[in-house]
Amino acid sequence: MPIEVLIQVLIGGVLLGGLYALVAFGLSLIYGVVRILNFAHGTLLAVGGVAASLAYAAWQWHPVWLILALIPIFVVFGWLFYRGLLQPLEKRNHFESTVGTVLVTVGALLMLSDLTAKLAGPTQKNIPLRFESFEIGEIIISMSQVWILAGIALLTIAMHFFLRRTWFGNAIRAVTQDSVGAQICGVHSSRMKAATFAFGSAIVAVAAVLYTLSFPVDPYMGFGLTVKAFTIIILGGIGNLLGALLAGLFLGVAEGMTGLFWKPEWAPAISVILLLLILVAFPNGFRIGKRQ
Amino acid sequence: MLSLNQIAVDHGALRALWEVSLEVRTGECVGLLGANGAGKSTTMGAIIGLYPLAAGNMTYAGITHTGRSTSENVAAGIALVPEGRRLFTQMSVRDNLVMGAYTPSARQAVEQSLEKIYALFPILKDKQQQFAGELSGGQQQMVAIGRALMSQPKLLLLDEPFIGVAPLLVDEIIVALRTIGQQGVTMLLVEQNIHRALSFVQRAYVIENGRTVLDGEAAQLLAHPEFSKKFLGLE
Amino acid sequence: MSAALSLRGGTALACTGLAAAACVPMFGNAYATTFVFTILIAYILAQSWDWIAGEMGYVNLGHYCFYGIGAYAFSIALVAKYPVLLALLFCVAFTAIVAMLLSFPLFRLKGDYFAFATLALLPLAEILAYNLSDITKGGDGISLPPQSVLSIAYWGALGVCVVAAYLTVWLNRQHFGYALKSIRNDEEVAEVMGIRIFPVKLRVTVLSASFAALAGALQSWQLSYVDPPTVFGLNVALVPVAMALLGGSGLLWGPIIGVLLLACMQQWLLINLKTLQTTIYGAVILLIGRFMPGGILRAPWIRRLPWLHALTREHHERIDSSTTHAAVQGHLPLPKRSIHREQPVLQCQGLTMAFGGNIAVNQIDLRLMQGEIIGLIGANGSGKTTLFNCISKVYEPRSGSLSLDGTSLIGLRRDEVAHLGVGRTYQIPRPFGDLTVQENIAIPLMFKHQGLAPREALARAREFIAYVDLEPHLTERADSLSLQQKKALEFARALASEPKLLLVDEVASGLTPIEINRFVRHIRHVRDEFGITVIWVEHIFSALAQVVDRVIVLEQGQCIADGSLQSVIADERVLRTYLGSAAQLPNAGSTHA
Repeated sequence: MPIEVLIQVLIGGVLLGGLYALVAFGLSLIYGVVRILNFAHGTLLAVGGVAASLAYAAWQWHPVWLILALIPIFVVFGWLFYRGLLQPLEKRNHFESTVGTVLVTVGALLMLSDLTAKLAGPTQKNIPLRFESFEIGEIIISMSQVWILAGIALLTIAMHFFLRRTWFGNAIRAVTQDSVGAQICGVHSSRMKAATFAFGSAIVAVAAVLYTLSFPVDPYMGFGLTVKAFTIIILGGIGNLLGALLAGLFLGVAEGMTGLFWKPEWAPAISVILLLLILVAFPNGFRIGKRQ
Repeated sequence: MLSLNQIAVDHGALRALWEVSLEVRTGECVGLLGANGAGKSTTMGAIIGLYPLAAGNMTYAGITHTGRSTSENVAAGIALVPEGRRLFTQMSVRDNLVMGAYTPSARQAVEQSLEKIYALFPILKDKQQQFAGELSGGQQQMVAIGRALMSQPKLLLLDEPFIGVAPLLVDEIIVALRTIGQQGVTMLLVEQNIHRALSFVQRAYVIENGRTVLDGEAAQLLAHPEFSKKFLGLE
Repeated sequence: MSAALSLRGGTALACTGLAAAACVPMFGNAYATTFVFTILIAYILAQSWDWIAGEMGYVNLGHYCFYGIGAYAFSIALVAKYPVLLALLFCVAFTAIVAMLLSFPLFRLKGDYFAFATLALLPLAEILAYNLSDITKGGDGISLPPQSVLSIAYWGALGVCVVAAYLTVWLNRQHFGYALKSIRNDEEVAEVMGIRIFPVKLRVTVLSASFAALAGALQSWQLSYVDPPTVFGLNVALVPVAMALLGGSGLLWGPIIGVLLLACMQQWLLINLKTLQTTIYGAVILLIGRFMPGGILRAPWIRRLPWLHALTREHHERIDSSTTHAAVQGHLPLPKRSIHREQPVLQCQGLTMAFGGNIAVNQIDLRLMQGEIIGLIGANGSGKTTLFNCISKVYEPRSGSLSLDGTSLIGLRRDEVAHLGVGRTYQIPRPFGDLTVQENIAIPLMFKHQGLAPREALARAREFIAYVDLEPHLTERADSLSLQQKKALEFARALASEPKLLLVDEVASGLTPIEINRFVRHIRHVRDEFGITVIWVEHIFSALAQVVDRVIVLEQGQCIADGSLQSVIADERVLRTYLGSAAQLPNAGSTHA
């Protein structure tokens, strides 16, 4: 196999993995603060991607404008979703609030994907914005890939500073590590949870546009993404940005390599198999998910 | 400054506090004593608004603050050094302290407050970039006290601040707390070690099974026959 | 009396329903039969799901994947011209093996992590079904030889339903059922009471997967077709879960009621709505989650309706009353051990436990003789409870040796340590909250070495309950007791595990002097009568003074004094670190003299 093909696949894998990591960031921030696994998280990306591609087809907006348009919608959606449907469940006992949040987020996942398919059609969509590409030897790199990689890197760095340098970011970290400790510092617990839900959804809005620029989206792909984001969290650790990025890149490249050396149709299975393998191999290593 | 009037708190179906009444005057240092499970920590949590009241009421600085949220109470000048410290173990000592100044009014003076705390506990300045979870028990307790002070409180609630603290550091913390008291911060102290507590506070209340059963000046209490019988369990 | 009546009412209702269902294929048309058939299949799925969720408290969202695997295994075997019974056997065996293998990774997780990982099995199974096209024919699906088997499949499904319902009732009276219930309540305590957790989880998963596989086989047989989206699709997979939860998870009648309600609604939608069916399912699932995750049978207004009350009874309201009326003998049924004072029971050397940088137990050496009563004192956070947790193996000590009666405890599981004879209570009581007082005591009796049958254990539990004066609360749920009663219950539960070494954690705090004296008598009595060695963590010295042989003082995870209570209290170091600096207090000496 020529080395160029390998590098080409590697670049694709890094790109995809970076996008997975963005999805995982949001999921992990929300889980850290709200302690709810949002099963509909990846579906938000699918919905956002479909919406972005339709908007692009209609008005040819620049991707940056698409992102800026999507963010407020997702913020409001995330906020309302938490306040209206999830927050009231916190008062119930442990079993009921667990199954309650699972059912609410899974129900939302089914509704979102089905409604999107009804409104926009179940076919795959993308943003057919093409930049020119350049060649290094035999390797062809399109400028859109470069921009997306830059976008992922920028967002990761911005998130890093956001979590360390702003009051809101520090509060997210604080609540993740000890919610009572954060409360007695004056962090308003339920306002914080709603804000984090909205914020995590906003990250998905950015990821949705970046994703749709290079890969096709369809209304039903969302849950697959959520599963990948979950695997990334288990690998990288809750609230750990760098861990999530590395885990995401690893998963993206692993999927690319599976397609290259075996069969592309097996690539989506990698994340679940990886998840099960981690759980067998590190019975004590990955302690998340156990009650403290 | 603070008065609790027959407050009751439920934990789920169980009533943890039945009838707790106490009063803390401005500038005072008051102790809250009692056996494990008597309801001391619950009282502290209720004062700062972590647990809603099932009955009774509280006033702080002349205003009824029953039912106010924790963040409102912190903004109003109440701070808690909680049982078990509750630090952010994966954050640096400095970030832990800075989080203490989360309320809008305290954010203005983060740097000054930090300097004050480093002056109080110089060791924290040397360790400011370390994760809080890596410190020894005593140093962690200093971070917890420092974090509470960052909000520039008028009333400081201390819930067993000497647990897991090596004897040498206990003295250092006591000295620091005295300094804080001299700066005009009112204090309410929960402490297991009654003699240490009574050497530090002016007055104390004794809680038993979720009820205040005794109160008085420190020396008065020690001499009280009922007190030593009830509390020390030594006859 | 009324309980017996309503029990009979429930049985009558079940029999009538069963008889009516049995007649459907004979008198009803194909449409009606198919409809009732889907209800039967849904009940099998919902009920088998509830064995894991309702009984054991684990939300397995990937349950449907066993249904799919069963359907595929059956269809493949049938296409290969094996007889139907053999194909059914193959499908159950195959699915059971898959379930067993999956249990190993999945049960490393808890709570919503477990829920998520199990849900991730569905897309995996779907990919496998699409990609292993040599076996599964990929997206085309497998078509079975067309035969009219509706009636036979119907009878089969009805039979499986009856077995599933019977199993549910039966399980609740077995060891296995009690193991599930205690895991649901508190996994750690269940293990400390001598239950080996993993085999229980494995067995219930295999059982539940086998029933799901049967449902899948019967459904694919009746449809004579199977393809990936119909057996692994996310939108269909959660319907049985939603049904069980809608009715009331963990209730005997919950899955049945939920299945009936949701299946009828689904049928109505199918007829009246041409599009957006998945959206409506989604909305229904969402609304159930938002408004009644506890189930419709737990809604207060339903519980108030007299003719429905029989269906809403929780587990503890359905207890067989015969064991609550057994005569109490008035003495504890514990083995009598003679005390050899020179024989050590517990020995540990250099025992150390640390959490991060915080050393909670630091190089502790202990040697406890048979029949000793040791008081363990020290300030809060000095490591007393951590030491208990090391001995009962809630924590694996970081270093040092630990042995009971010469057997090393290092590397042993909590249930093994319990069987060797370590019993304990918790500082904050942790009874099995939704079980009755009687069941709480019966659980260690059932799961001790050579445990008793549940009925016998329940009867014998009466003796322990009488011992701690909880007789009036026999059939109440443990979480409805007061703190003091819970402590008494825990003490009795620890005794019922037939310990050689009893670890008692602050049992007297918050008690009146009379109650404290009774505890002191109990502790002395179980030592004198049954040779039980006791370590008692307590802050109330007057209580300790009445009974302890010696006292050990911990400070900062280290043992700083060991001797009689009087000598320890006189020790200056103890005074300084535990009771406070005497130097600071002029009158401190007089208080302690």
